[in-house]
This record gives sequence, structure tokens and C-alpha cells, in this order.
Amino acid sequence: MNGIARSMLTTLSTFMRKPVTRDYPVVHKELPKTDRAFPLLLWDHEIDEPFCTGCHACERACPVECMTVLMKDNPNHKSLGGDSSRRKIIDKFWIDYGRCMRCNICVEVCNFEAIAMNNTWTGHETSVYDRRDLTMDLQQLLSQSRAGKINEWVPVIGQANEDPAAVKAE
Amino acid sequence: MVASRETYGTEFETQDLLLNVGPQHPSTHGVFRMVLQVDGEVVKDVIPHIGYLHRGAEKLCETMDFRQGIGFMDRTEYLAAFNAELSYVMAVEALADIEVPERAQWIRMILCELNRLSSHFMFMGAFGIDVGVFATPFIYAWKEREQILDLFEEVAGDRMMYAYFRPGGLAWDVPHNFKARVREVLKSTRIGINDFDGLLTKDEIFRTRTQGVGVISAEEAIEWGMSGPSIRASGVPMDVRKDEPYLFYDQIDFNVASRTEGDVYARYSCRMEEMWESVRIIEQCLEKMPDYGPIMPEKMPRMLRTPPGEVYIRTEAPRGEYGIYMVSQGGNRPYRLKVRSACLSNLQALKDMSVNQYVADAIIVLGSIDIVLSEVDR
Amino acid sequence: MGVDLFGFNNVNPWLDAFIRLQLAVVLITVVVMGYTYLERKIVARFNQRIGPQKTGPFGLLQAVADAVKLVGKEDLRPKSADPWTFELGPFFVFIPVLMTFVIAPFMADWNIRLLELGLIYFVAVSGLSIIGWIMAGWGSDNRYALLGALRSVAQSISYELPLVLCVVALAMFAGTYNLGLIVEQQDKVPFIVWQPMTALIFFIAALAELNRSPFDIPVGESEVAGGPFIEYSGIRWSMFQLAEYAAIFVMSIVFASMFLGGYIWPFGDQVGVGLQLVLTGAKALLFFFVVVWIRVSVPRLRIDQLMGYSWKVLLPLTLVQVLVNGLVLVNGWHEVVLLVAGLIGCAVLVTATSRAVERRPRVPATRTAPVMQGEAARV
Repeated sequence: MNGIARSMLTTLSTFMRKPVTRDYPVVHKELPKTDRAFPLLLWDHEIDEPFCTGCHACERACPVECMTVLMKDNPNHKSLGGDSSRRKIIDKFWIDYGRCMRCNICVEVCNFEAIAMNNTWTGHETSVYDRRDLTMDLQQLLSQSRAGKINEWVPVIGQANEDPAAVKAE
Repeated sequence: MVASRETYGTEFETQDLLLNVGPQHPSTHGVFRMVLQVDGEVVKDVIPHIGYLHRGAEKLCETMDFRQGIGFMDRTEYLAAFNAELSYVMAVEALADIEVPERAQWIRMILCELNRLSSHFMFMGAFGIDVGVFATPFIYAWKEREQILDLFEEVAGDRMMYAYFRPGGLAWDVPHNFKARVREVLKSTRIGINDFDGLLTKDEIFRTRTQGVGVISAEEAIEWGMSGPSIRASGVPMDVRKDEPYLFYDQIDFNVASRTEGDVYARYSCRMEEMWESVRIIEQCLEKMPDYGPIMPEKMPRMLRTPPGEVYIRTEAPRGEYGIYMVSQGGNRPYRLKVRSACLSNLQALKDMSVNQYVADAIIVLGSIDIVLSEVDR
Repeated sequence: MGVDLFGFNNVNPWLDAFIRLQLAVVLITVVVMGYTYLERKIVARFNQRIGPQKTGPFGLLQAVADAVKLVGKEDLRPKSADPWTFELGPFFVFIPVLMTFVIAPFMADWNIRLLELGLIYFVAVSGLSIIGWIMAGWGSDNRYALLGALRSVAQSISYELPLVLCVVALAMFAGTYNLGLIVEQQDKVPFIVWQPMTALIFFIAALAELNRSPFDIPVGESEVAGGPFIEYSGIRWSMFQLAEYAAIFVMSIVFASMFLGGYIWPFGDQVGVGLQLVLTGAKALLFFFVVVWIRVSVPRLRIDQLMGYSWKVLLPLTLVQVLVNGLVLVNGWHEVVLLVAGLIGCAVLVTATSRAVERRPRVPATRTAPVMQGEAARV
């Protein structure tokens, strides 16, 4: 019965330790900036319009085809008296979060850094009663970035960390 | 033991019962279904039904370019997604003849071994439940896995489906405190392994339940094409990391855990030893890994295209040999992709292992193979 | 003719019994809720978790919430089930457990009835619940349920024998089957000192009787997925749970009374009702804690090992204990002989348990595992 005694002592030792429970809905773990939830569109606060020009790059690269993009002429373009340098701008944009597999490819292919993965808890807590509610439109995709509630992080693929010693030497 | 025809003649002949286990059953580890033909409590025949989770991942990947395929590889082996990604990107690298920077390889190794640890923790937990310990092993497993998954989240951004290895290297660099974090995780992992060791290894009831149960001999195991801990427990010390070293496994000192009994207990203790070996490997990797350096070759094309050719790459995933056979006819996507899944081959031996054992044994034999159904069905 | 009840003299015995039964039923409900809550908390601590904490202060209302949920659930019956056996099964499990409460002595003067053959009554009645298990298993028309019910019957019958023999051994030592009188004899030294092996075997057999780990094969959730109550839901399922925890409660009271000195040890019978109740409760909780501790620590036995352990290890040892008790009784030897014999018996039991479970692996002749070495092994 030594083995049984050993098992029971092991459980007793965990009985004595501090619980490891995270009180989840009350206490949220701090998310790292690399965290990936679902893609979001970013808002250009300087000109007060989306970064996205509706170039379809992400739509073409998406492996699960969860995006639908429509572009239009930018009414705010310089030639029309506005202050934006974007000739075309996003008109309508849908992402089906129920279909997205969070592979980060849309972020990587974007030429304008207009899309990023949501790295806040709102991206993770997306339960809805109807799966059709998971299809997000342009307003919903932009709102978080527009309100500044995103810890923006757009990775550069293949870029290594800079060696502080080497930087100092220069 | 069992009322047999020879002992009692035909007047006591009984009808065997067909017991349907799964696809919804607590112990089938996913949507696996097996029909047990039982005589009382003794299993006379096992009819496994696989394919409930078939998604055609291989065929899907043939319509995707190489970067898009990575995400699907994650999902074929969700408990050890880094290992699955590794095979895929290594196949692409072999086809396109890309040299991977040294630092990226070290990071890949560390992450793969950590993933092996997390996968084996999962095995320990699920197996403990199969054997019948109430709740404890699963929570033990979960609390250690949580530490490792937290680290993965910091590195790759996701807890299960990483999409982090890319042809040529890594998607982005690890955080600055990576080494310290890995050491921190290893510290907690050691406690976790010790807990499991104390809870199960020496327990008499555990041993009597598992020793001598589900025996498969070396010859049979080889004939079924088993691999990983399941074959090493039968006395065949086959390990791709040792036999055909990839990454930098040839620069690392580690043992291949193997047993000779070939029973459920041997498969369990093989995994237990492997976890300690993984910890050793990670420590050595941390010593040898450079702190800074490139993680991708200088010139990577924006859209990767490979010359025509075919390649078979195998790596040692936690459940055995995870192979990728890839044919390219040029262009940016594979012409044919075949995943050699260790679980599928290991599962074939289920019948040989569980016939003439008790129902409870059939359950733990299934648990001891440690299947991931998404890898079996793909 | 009348009896005393709460200071009232000469109460009608039927009225008295009725009132006491009502109190016992209330007590059972409260205690079962307490036990389920405690079990969840204790298991959680063993797993380094917190356990229920959202319902009420410290999650104390969790059991109430569970009960409300269970009562509110739909009472399902499979189409192909045998209606009468299926519906009546839970009652046949629950009622015998309720009946065993009659003999449980909670305090010096407080019990329902102290029967002269109390322990015999206890063992006989608690064995009746097998009928309910097999009714549930057969009536559900489910193969898991049938398998679980058959396991349950085989196990109950095997472990009833050591249990009964333990009771016999203790009754020989105490000279009575009346649980109240047994408790009263333990005001100096609890019987576990003189009968250690009996206590140990009684504990093991009680675990099996209660279907607790490591003998929980009838309900083993990883094999037969709940066993006899796989098809039950709602209130009927909760009756099985109620019966299970009520059985643990009465078994813990009986164990505390038989071996740990019940309400009397170590303070005597003149310490007042409150302390006596606390003593009984504390000893019962100790029993419960160990049961839960074992549950979270050890795996489940297989059916053949389980049966073998009862017939080959427990039964012979209890028979020897009965024999030794008889010898002491006849020859009038000192009780220390029993202590020594009991300790030797415990040592034998521990060794035999280790040997029984560590016997050579059962490897069929056709399955050998030759070792392959060297380069040939690297396939």
C-alpha cells in the first residue's frame, strides 16, 4: 500500500498549496500584445477616416474566405477639396467571425497597415445567440480602434529583435 | 473465468452483447466510436469507426498557397500544433531549398519540446481520468498546461492554433524575456511532472490496472506501423529525433525513453520519462540559443514559389512520427499533400491490444494510445 | 405506555416515532446538501482549485441551486424503458437508505429507535438497495445501465460478507448488536484500538458498499458512463444522489459509533447535548473527508480485481478475526491480545493488499514482447 499512501500524500500536498484558480469573469488575465483574437480595421485619427482603401488584398489572401470588401471613391480626397491622400476608400466591409480562423494572414498582406488582430478581451468574448450576429460590418469593425481601445500591434514578418548592445555600438 | 463452450457445452451458450462506445462517450477522447462485442465483461471483438471528424484538410491545403496551409496543419494536430507546423514548413523549405537561420531553429526546437510537454500533460490527465482517479489528474494537467499555453500566447499570439512557423523561419521574433519565461515555465513544469509521478507511477491500483494489459509485441507494433511512445514501449527505440536528426537534435544530449513490456503501463512510463527528457532538451537549447540574430533569411519572396519536386519530411511529434509528403509542380501551392498521421497508425493496433481483455481495459488501452481525433481523421 | 420526548413524559410511542422520523428526514436533507457542498469544496482544494464560490457566501447555496435545478429539469423516460421498474427504481434505492437511519445514535438520548439487533438490521436493510440498482439498470433498457447494474450487484454481494463478518466480530467483542450499548462501552477507549483490523476492513467494505472510489465501478463514468442511472434525469436522478450521500452519512455515523466512540469518547456522556452532537459530527466528517481523499487519489479497480480482493483477502481475514475474538471470549484473555492480533492482522492486510495488486502481470502466452536492439531496432 506504499504506492497508495504516496498518491494520497501527493494529493494532500496540493491540498496544502495555494489555489491556482483565476476568477475569470471577474478578473481578466492581462493579455500580451501579441495576442490574437479576430481582425479589426484601424482608424486613421489624423485624417479621421479608416486606413483601409478596400484593395481586396486581405480578401484574396484569406484562406477561409470570411471577408467581403467593397471600395468607393474617397469623397474626402484632395482633388475633391478634402484633406485625404487616399483616392479610394473602403465602402463596405464584412468579416464573418464565425468563419475566421485567426491565422493573421490578412494583417500580413495588408499594404496600408489598415487591419490588425484584436488583442483585447473584447475580441475573445464574442458569444452571441445567433451565429449570423458574428458577421461584423464596417461600423463594428472600426468602432474599437476609433475609440482608441486597442493596443495596436502590427507585426513585421521575419523581423528579428534588435540587439541592444549592437544598437549602442552604432 | 468466462463460461466457454468447451466447459459447459452449448446449452449455456450465451449471446454476445454489442456495446457501442462513442461517439459521445466520456473516454473516447473526441468523436471516436468503437463497437465492443462483449461476453459479460470480456471484450471479444472491437470494431473501430473512424472518420467522424474528417474535414479533408489535405485536399484543402492543395488549394491554398504555402502560407495559408500552415493554419490548416495546426488544426490537424491541435494538441501539438507546433510539431505539425514544423513538418509542413520543413517540407516547404526542402522543396524551395531555403536555409533557415540558426536562431530560428533553436526557437523552433524549444517551442516543439514545450508543446510535447503540454501534449503529454494532456495525456496524463486524460489517462488518469480513464483509469478512474476522480478529477485530480485532469486538473493537475490543466494547471501545468496553462503555464505553457500562456507562454505560447506571449510568443505566438494564440494558445492552440499558432500559425507561427513560416517557411524560412518564424513569423516574428520572440519577446525579449523569452529565456527567462521558459525557465520560469520549466520550474512549474518540474513540479507538475513530480505531482503526476507521485499520483500515479507507484500506485498499486494504478499498476495492477495497467501492467500486463493491452500488450503488443515489437513485431506486431512494427507491422502496424506504430510510432512514438506507443512503439517505444514495446521495445523498439525508434525516435526520429535520434534516427534522422532534424533541427539541432544532433547537438543535444538526450535519451530515447523505451520500455520492453509493451503494455499500457510501459506506454505511460515512456511518456513520463520523455517529459523529463524534454525538460533536459529545453534546458540545453536555452544554453545554446543565441540571444539575438535573424529569424528569417535575408531575401524571402513575398509569394513563395517552389520548383517542381516531391519531398517527404518526418518529425517526431508527441504521438509519433508526423510525416508530410508534398509534391509540387511549381507554383505557389502543393500539387499533392499527404499527412502521415501517427495516431491513425497507432489506432489500428487497438483491436490487437484490447481483445480478450475486460471492458475497463479496452478503455484504458484506447487512452494509452493517446489519440487526437482530428489527426486521425484529418 | 409512553416514552420521553424533549422533556415531555409519556408521549404516545407512535407519535414519538413519527416526530423523530420527520426530524431525521429534515436532517438527511440538510446533511446531504452539506455533504455535496463539502465534497465539492474538498475535491477542489485537493485539485488546487477554489470550488463553488458564486452562489451565496463561499458558495454555500450551491447545493440549493443544484437541487432547484434538478427539480426543475424534465423527467425523461426512454421510449423503450420498462415503465414500472424504471420509475420505481430510485425509490427502491432511496427507501432502504432512509430506513437505516432508524438505528443511528446521534447523541446520548437521541436516536429514532435503538434496536436490540440494530447492526443486523442496518446491514440487512442497506443490502436491499441492490434491488433498486438492478431495477434501474434493467428498466432503463440501456446496455451501459445493465452492465453497471450487474457490476453493482456482484460488488454489493461480495462486499456484504466482509461487512457482516466485521459487524459480527465487533458484536462478539462488545457483547451486543445494539448500537447505543456499543457506544456506551467506549467511554474510556474506542473500539478501534482493540479491533483495528476489523475497523480497517469495515472501512474498505463500506467504501465498496457506498460505491465510492476505488470501488466505484458500477457508476464508473469513464467506462459505463454513469451505470444504472445513465438514463435518469431531473428528480429521479437526484434521488440516486440523495441516496448515495445519505448512505455515506449513515455509514459515517455507524462507523463513528462502532469504532470511534460515537458521541461518548473522549468526554463521557455527561457533557451536554451540544458537545455530543459536535463529537458525532466531527467523527462523521473525518470519515467523509477520508472517503473524499481516497476518491481523488486512487484509480478505480477492475471488476475481477475487485471481486478477487473481497473473496481472497478480506473474507479470510475477517473470518480469522471472528475466530480470534471467539478465542478471547471463551478463554477470557486480556484485551491486549486482541490489540496485538489486530495489529498483526493489519500488517497482513497491508501486505496482502500490496501482493494482491502487485502480482505478476497477466500476459497471455501468445503475446510476448521480445526486445529488439542495435541497428536492427531502428526501423
